[in-house]
Amino acid sequence: MKVSYFALLRDATKKSHEVWQRPAATLRDLLRDLAAEYGPNFARWILKDGELAGYAIILVNGQDVRGLQGLDTPLSPDSDVFIFPPLAGG
Amino acid sequence: MHGWTGKILRIDLSTGKITTEALKTDLARDYIGARGLGTKYMYDEVDPTVDPLSPANKLIFASGPMTGTFAPSAGRYDVVTKGPLTGTIAASNSGGAWGPELKYAGYDMLILEGRSPKPVYLWIQDDKVEIRNAAHLWGKDVPETTEALNAETANDAKIACIGPAGENLSFIASIMNDMQRAAGRTGVGAVMGSKNLKAVVVRGTGAVTVADKTAFLAAVSKASTMIKEHPVGGTGLRLYGTNVLVNILNSVGGLPTGNFQDGHFETADKVGGETLAANQLQRPKGCFSCIISCGRATKVNHPKYKGEGEGPEYETAWGFGPDCRIDNLDAVIKANYYCNEYGLDTISMGSTVACAMELFDRGIITLDDTEGLELTFGNADAMVEAVRLAGVGQGFGKKLALGSYRLASLYGHPELSMTVKKQEMPAYDPRAVQGIGLNYATNNRGGCHVRGYTISPEVLGVPVKVDKDSIDGKAELVALFQNLTAALDSSGSCLFATFGIGAPEFAELMTALTGFAYTGDSFIEAGERIWNLERLWNLKAGLTAADDTLPPRLLSEPIVTGPSKGAVSRLPEMLPLYYGVRGWDANGVPTPEKLSALALA
Repeated sequence: MKVSYFALLRDATKKSHEVWQRPAATLRDLLRDLAAEYGPNFARWILKDGELAGYAIILVNGQDVRGLQGLDTPLSPDSDVFIFPPLAGG
Repeated sequence: MHGWTGKILRIDLSTGKITTEALKTDLARDYIGARGLGTKYMYDEVDPTVDPLSPANKLIFASGPMTGTFAPSAGRYDVVTKGPLTGTIAASNSGGAWGPELKYAGYDMLILEGRSPKPVYLWIQDDKVEIRNAAHLWGKDVPETTEALNAETANDAKIACIGPAGENLSFIASIMNDMQRAAGRTGVGAVMGSKNLKAVVVRGTGAVTVADKTAFLAAVSKASTMIKEHPVGGTGLRLYGTNVLVNILNSVGGLPTGNFQDGHFETADKVGGETLAANQLQRPKGCFSCIISCGRATKVNHPKYKGEGEGPEYETAWGFGPDCRIDNLDAVIKANYYCNEYGLDTISMGSTVACAMELFDRGIITLDDTEGLELTFGNADAMVEAVRLAGVGQGFGKKLALGSYRLASLYGHPELSMTVKKQEMPAYDPRAVQGIGLNYATNNRGGCHVRGYTISPEVLGVPVKVDKDSIDGKAELVALFQNLTAALDSSGSCLFATFGIGAPEFAELMTALTGFAYTGDSFIEAGERIWNLERLWNLKAGLTAADDTLPPRLLSEPIVTGPSKGAVSRLPEMLPLYYGVRGWDANGVPTPEKLSALALA
């Protein structure tokens, strides 16, 4: 699946996007593996006590997972995942 | 009085008469300051049917009670007048350090009347107020004017001025203060130009007094901590500025592209905040008393677009970028610099160029009309030149300086202007985010995002996430955000403080500062009062419910690509609900009961 990173997360991943090959049935699986890969500078913006951190924005195929099934949102090899740390603008 | 200085400076530019008067205490409490108080004075003193560019219109510079204190991110002021772009009441809000300086000079508001027979500027040093000749400044751009005035008044004087666009009475002209900060929207710069007023220079040596110092200190400390510790307010805005939104809005399919023909731009990342931070950003920059520092001091080295200045904000990057199908960030920033130098609103300017590009693309205008400017979508050089020409008022730029509604109408196609009440909408597609469309349609100054920023819950999830595609609860959400923002604008606070604090904290700050007992509810109610007064002004000016709408494209032409493909705005379903929530009748007129409840009857 394709995974894209934004803002501070690019500091942790050193890339803006990648094709993630490891299987992940749900968003929970994917974030667990990404946290292991990119360490606390990635994980601290996204996960808190094993749950989604407040205000992190994660989109699967353009849909915010807070309106889907959160960490249990199912993924497939052709999913397009966007991960933003908490951010604001205006 | 505490918080407020209690004094208004009034200058008749026709006669040169300079007077001061006491601020009415009850008006200050009920309308707070800045936007609200300025609107109240306009409502009481000016006929809403006035020609905005006539001497009978007034131009009010108004600070809020928190302006000039050390409350976090609360150093703002409003320019209140009848806006020439929209014909509505206009309050254009700006940061920097000018607003606090007006307070230190001893004034809550500066009310300007009439029209000077020749170009002048004002030099305000506490109680000493002079009207000075500005013939030598007329025609100069904003940096030149600012530097010249600092040299001939005081190095540390604070300066608000217009550039050539305001002198030329462009309907999208801004008033610039502290060189780089803009009271940008609704054409307030043209009103200043119509009065032959080039600048207002202020130097103050006074202070703002506080009713309960201990309580105010505690409230400031609490609010500052909440903003600093908030995951949204405390980190990202300083690092990436508002332009970080480019990728977020594009990812949800709500980034208006090609004059709102689409909601998704494939190469948007090239003009986003991450790219800016990695390349052109020199340092973050904050306004007076700001603990967020979302401003961007930037530098462009590309030989063609070389320059230094501030920006872009998200809406600016969008307007000159994806809305024109341009992904060259250096060119986008150059257009931003031109706007700051010539005194133009970046949102209206960007959207007007995008409109011109669609007119060109469709063959409605040709090279003959544009005087050789190849205004095809994606042409960065033509976009930058178009902005320069609009700024100096030359060639096709004279027509661009009218704004997109008047431009498109000149060629028989007003439907291609992406405006509400003739003001250009910002960078959030109402087809992809339903609540923001309702806000645009009902906004008291036309296409405007900051007076009802439902993007916060609908996209960012702050303070809670709501479904952006649903219309459920949007009428209530929009009205609440509009009311809260009217109150905080009037206090002198920055909208971005709400990324850490809410109405209860604003009420604590206001109570300790002023000595009047505000609650969260009464603070929001003051905002509702202000919103309804603005509505009354607009109705008297001749606007009707028919003006509470969106461009037909957004109601009938679905988004073509991206995650929001197929979406249209459901405004017709939301609008009656909104009127109901507001306590207005089916024609959008506030009922006597509502006006009575808000002490507006």
